[in-house]
Amino acid sequence: MEETKKMTRQEKKALKERLKHLKSGKLEKRDGRMGYFFMIPWFIGVAVFLAYPLGTSFWYALNNIRLTPQGLLATFVGKGNFSNILVQDPDFVVELVDYVTSTILSVPIIVVFALIIAMMLNMKIKGKSFFRLIFFLPVIIVSGPILGMLTAEGAGSISAIDMNAITSAISGVLPKMLADPISDLFNNMITTLWYSGVQILIFLSGLQKIDKSMYEAAKIDGGSGWECFWKITLPNIKPMILLNVVYTVIFISSNSQNPIIGLIQTSMFSGTKEKGYGYAAAMAWLYTVVVILIVGLFALLLMTRKGAYEKQVKRAKKAKKQEARNRKKIERRNVRNAKRIERQRAKGKITSRTTSREDY
Amino acid sequence: MNKGKKINPKKFEIGQLKIILILLPLVIFMGMPIIFIINHAFKPMDELFAFPPTFFVKNPRMDNFTQLMKFSNTSGIPLSRYLFNSILVTALTVGLALLLTTMSAFALSKIKFKGRNMLAQINQIAIMFVSTAVLIPRFLVVCKLGLVNNIFAHVLPLVAMPVALFLVKQFVDQVPDSLLEAAYMDGATDLDVYLKVILPMIKPAIATASILVFQQVWTNMETSNYYFDDDSMKTLTFYMNTLVNANNTVAGQGMGAAASLIMFLPNLILFIILQNKVMNTMASSGIK
Repeated sequence: MEETKKMTRQEKKALKERLKHLKSGKLEKRDGRMGYFFMIPWFIGVAVFLAYPLGTSFWYALNNIRLTPQGLLATFVGKGNFSNILVQDPDFVVELVDYVTSTILSVPIIVVFALIIAMMLNMKIKGKSFFRLIFFLPVIIVSGPILGMLTAEGAGSISAIDMNAITSAISGVLPKMLADPISDLFNNMITTLWYSGVQILIFLSGLQKIDKSMYEAAKIDGGSGWECFWKITLPNIKPMILLNVVYTVIFISSNSQNPIIGLIQTSMFSGTKEKGYGYAAAMAWLYTVVVILIVGLFALLLMTRKGAYEKQVKRAKKAKKQEARNRKKIERRNVRNAKRIERQRAKGKITSRTTSREDY
Repeated sequence: MNKGKKINPKKFEIGQLKIILILLPLVIFMGMPIIFIINHAFKPMDELFAFPPTFFVKNPRMDNFTQLMKFSNTSGIPLSRYLFNSILVTALTVGLALLLTTMSAFALSKIKFKGRNMLAQINQIAIMFVSTAVLIPRFLVVCKLGLVNNIFAHVLPLVAMPVALFLVKQFVDQVPDSLLEAAYMDGATDLDVYLKVILPMIKPAIATASILVFQQVWTNMETSNYYFDDDSMKTLTFYMNTLVNANNTVAGQGMGAAASLIMFLPNLILFIILQNKVMNTMASSGIK
């Protein structure tokens, strides 16, 4: 403080001059530049090999594409492809409904299973790394063609359990709409469990980040293990749960085992007049919309609610904004009024100066 | 104390027994595919087609492997050429993809700039799109860029991987802002922060992402199928697949079983190398 007092007038002027050059927001701008710098390589890759093809495929979805010796021949059909798929195609809608129900049912199972396994693997047991290895290994198999071979051999279901008994018991209690996917789920129990490798890993990393002293504090206050799970573990790994759910949905949807993908591929290369690439592209777009809806549904269910503090901050910010807006409004009105009075005075309607606002 | 290095208790205690009892049956189920693949590759002809199919091999033979070797010797291009292609392509793709992914994950989650949210949205939508749908436009792009029969046609389409970015970004989000602020206070630039703070902190995510990317590239046949006429530029996966498909007879089955074991082994080895890193760094990077 003292130094500023001692500053001569000249120095102050120089400082002001310097500050003028350093505009506010320049730092932010520079920060932003770095952001672009980091993003650009990725963005180019996505734009060229993903975004552009996606855009083209949407255009193709509105067309009937035929491969001729002269190249691609596109005739515009508008929403013809979409209505053909939804109304005429015998398989697509059926497969889609199947897919939606089975996904909605199996995602919670996979995530809960992954959480349980991750919690067990996070405890102190001997041979931990061996167990981890085994639980993660299926990940490197399920994407390959090997899984197809395995399910063909019947390795996907637990043969030791009598599946027929379970299936009939389920279909006796539930309506057919629900019973079928559930019994399917039991039949493919092991395949479902195989899908949970990455999820286990993500949960493990989340669990290991939780502060151990929190559990100690809870134990001192007399919290049981059950309470600790609900009050400490679960809130702490909530972001991981959402991540896992989204990952699982996407994994199931873009897996090569998925029948809808097979359907898209076969119709892409089918030679019939109304099918072909445009038809397949339309199918893929419909499918994507459904996948996004499913992800959105889960995200809505699991959205982390903002804390009380953040809420208050938000409210305060809102109030501040409102205030600023009001102030501006009043200012504008003042200017307007002043102008009007000026005009009227120029016309000679008002003679007394006291009505002018400018005097205040 | 370095917690990460001492993750396993040294002694077996009776308290662990209940956990092990629950885990063991699950382990058997989870380990089944691996056991099956290994067994399947060593099955002689009569066991491959046995009905009902057997899970374990009774009298293991090397028949399938010798057959595979013999067959690949008769074709014009040696097996080593395909292997070289595969290794080069995989190394390039994994390296580039990880670089791009970590860089953009850092930018998306920690640097504020215009259009950040939009880019994140684009990524999220891109994840959900089926890759078969963009097959033909992608082919056209590759043609236009003049990449047909160029080694980069294997690499470039797979470099920007939205799933990996999504995964890594979630981990970067977990890195506390205060840590970065401390680095900035000490005069670090964004590049410093990226190299010295972010990268070491998200090592587990990098390891996970690298396994995923590796696996996707290694088993990818799409690029060899569509962007290459020249057989000598195609990858091992493609070759193995044609072997099985071309002789889709009785003999092909045995070779297919052997080929799938060969294709599977690099995955296993990479995972065993990386898994220690994945698990241990996760524990030691636990800054709250």
